[in-house]
Amino acid sequence: MPSLGLGRLLTRERVDPTARRPRGAGTSTFWIFSIGSATLLFMGWLLPWFVRPTSSGIGYSPMDVVSSAPTGIGTFLVYLLGIGMLVMVLSPFAELFYRARKRAVPERLDQVRVLIAVFGLVSTVVVFLLTRVIQEEQLFGPIDAFTITDSAVWLTMVGYILAATAYGLRGWVIRRPTTAFAALALPVGILLPLMFHQAPVFILWAAGSLGIYTLLALGLNVVVGFAGLLDLGYAAFFAIGAYTCGSLASPKHSIHLPLWVLIFLGAAVASMFGAVLGAPTLRLRGDYLAIVTLGFGEIIPDLATNNIGKLTGGPDGISSIDQPIVHLPFATINFGINKEWYYWSVLLVVIVVIVLLRNLEHSRVGRAWVALREDEVAAAATGINTTSTKLLAFAIGASVSGLAGAFYGSIVTIVSPDDFSFSVSVSILSIIVLGGIGNITGVIVGSFVLTFVIFWMLQYLNEWSATLGQTINVPSLGNIDYSQYTYMIYGVALILMMLLRPGGLIPSRARQIELTSGGEEESLAAVQGIA
Amino acid sequence: MTDTAAVPRQAPAPSGVPVLELRDVDVSYGRVQALRGVSLTVGEGEIVALIGSNGAGKTTTLRTISGLVRPSKGEVLLRGQPIQGMGAEAIARLGVGHAPEGRRLFSRMTVRENLDMGAYSRKDRAGIRDDFERVFALFPRVKERSSQLAGSLSGGEQQMVAIGRALMARPTLLLLDEPSLGLAPIVVDSVFEVIREINQGGTTVLLIEQNALLALNTARRGYVLETGEVATQGPSQELLHSPDVQRAYLGM
Repeated sequence: MPSLGLGRLLTRERVDPTARRPRGAGTSTFWIFSIGSATLLFMGWLLPWFVRPTSSGIGYSPMDVVSSAPTGIGTFLVYLLGIGMLVMVLSPFAELFYRARKRAVPERLDQVRVLIAVFGLVSTVVVFLLTRVIQEEQLFGPIDAFTITDSAVWLTMVGYILAATAYGLRGWVIRRPTTAFAALALPVGILLPLMFHQAPVFILWAAGSLGIYTLLALGLNVVVGFAGLLDLGYAAFFAIGAYTCGSLASPKHSIHLPLWVLIFLGAAVASMFGAVLGAPTLRLRGDYLAIVTLGFGEIIPDLATNNIGKLTGGPDGISSIDQPIVHLPFATINFGINKEWYYWSVLLVVIVVIVLLRNLEHSRVGRAWVALREDEVAAAATGINTTSTKLLAFAIGASVSGLAGAFYGSIVTIVSPDDFSFSVSVSILSIIVLGGIGNITGVIVGSFVLTFVIFWMLQYLNEWSATLGQTINVPSLGNIDYSQYTYMIYGVALILMMLLRPGGLIPSRARQIELTSGGEEESLAAVQGIA
Repeated sequence: MTDTAAVPRQAPAPSGVPVLELRDVDVSYGRVQALRGVSLTVGEGEIVALIGSNGAGKTTTLRTISGLVRPSKGEVLLRGQPIQGMGAEAIARLGVGHAPEGRRLFSRMTVRENLDMGAYSRKDRAGIRDDFERVFALFPRVKERSSQLAGSLSGGEQQMVAIGRALMARPTLLLLDEPSLGLAPIVVDSVFEVIREINQGGTTVLLIEQNALLALNTARRGYVLETGEVATQGPSQELLHSPDVQRAYLGM
């Protein structure tokens, strides 16, 4: 077994002093910031319109403020913010324009954008304070203060902060992409539930789908991205973790273990199953391994459906799973009521997992995985134990999935076989393909984008579409059920991805190289094959 | 071909137990038998060449020694200890370095990372650093290219990295599979120069070559493989002057 000192996982091992920073990673982060800020500002502008439909089906939005005659200071600010939003949304195109003409982006452009961003930020804070503190009608004219929802204000603020960082500190962002990403993502991540306290459903979404799917994608990335083993039945380990939690923290077997024990138990049980599945099958390569894992992914939910040993509750699954109640000296936190604590717990776990996996990626084992992915024969010849190294990838991937499963069970309080179908495995695989196989940042971005589109936007799209239909007098827009197009959107997204950005949103270094010099290598291999 | 190459080099006298011994080894790929009763010995500090035409079983022999292929019959002894049936990684840890056919570098890793992978089973940081210097001294070109991606190097440079990677494990027995494959003649000469240098440093070398003249000029002894069997064996000079070998492999 390759040595895996736990102490080593906490400190980054850098054997190779000349190891190069992945090319272009900094530029990717810059673009995430740039496009992210434009998207957030755009959303901040439109969100009130979507989230708070009034009885007539038409919500108020800052747009209504603009279309009505401006009367108060607040209205003017909102008016100006709209212009700022438009500049930010359009400015990445300006950058693309300069790039396409192979001219350097003028410094003036960045200065103007920073100025707008800072001004926007200040105005947003003023608007926020006005709505919160003053709430005087005449400041906003005919629109009442609450039409500018807190969510919109927060989104706009984050958008302007992102823009200010991207354009004002462009050099820093490109030089230290990880630090920049962490410095901005962390506070936003922690504050997210507060930003959306008007929409508790959103918090549940953030904790449940985003957090859990990020964990699952990170785990699968170890197997598929790092070690290069295609696993099509990854949801099985998710199921194992969830059922472990369900069995040991519910009235089903009258066992009530705390969640904090269960996440480790779920991880341990899942990694054990990973090893059990892996040991006989990891000698298979490529397609054959994929098919075995596919089978495994089908078997586990079936076992649960058939209620093996009366453990799993059959097709109905296990319900009323405990939600933790934490007693602190100053307060009692009931996770079932204050769902944001789930979000924060999952966030903490995600951060810990990211740190561990990043260090693992750069450790001895991580390099062995890369070698294995590149050339199994050569890896064996350099003294890498191929079977146990692969097994380790499988077990680690499975344990992250088991961890996610335990959280999932506790959050949704009911687990049933349907939750772990093949489509879940496919979703997770799509997330890492979309984000960038083998690149942790890419995987995080991928899980954000896909869960956002699939699990949040699609659910609201019907409502939004109906609102839009009423507004522009096309009522048939309200009759479309967008949720049935989930997989079509998956398919279109993946096809577009493969055509436009085959390495994913943020490709890993290996992918970038493969895609730029793949043809050359193939012809080399052909020559060697003949010789 | 340099003149010095033609002179049989002064190799350390073989000690009692050979470094490597194959006894009556059979290897089959499914129903195709690749090796039939191959026996050979490699003494301490020797360079031994294994020559033969395509499909004679040279690469299979090497892969059997390094554990990438399991023999169906016979014994492989490393310093008297049987190693057949052991995993490739275990054999590598016993000091058998294998520069496999077609170089097989990790092409999307840098040259330095490739060399580092060669030292995968070692823990002595200081020794690894020394060996980096040693490899760089043997192959100055590799040092120049150390932060480039292995896949972007020329064939000769890749071969040097492949040999360097095998050396990073600090092997006592080095298995080289066709180090001249696809290289320009002048590069071949310098690669073989280094092989001799490595050998003089105390590493035993078992070498596969299609270029029989070059191989026999470098090696002390040679084995000729034909359709999976040892056809002839003997000191290099004897083989070079044997009419059969001359006709079949030297084109004379």
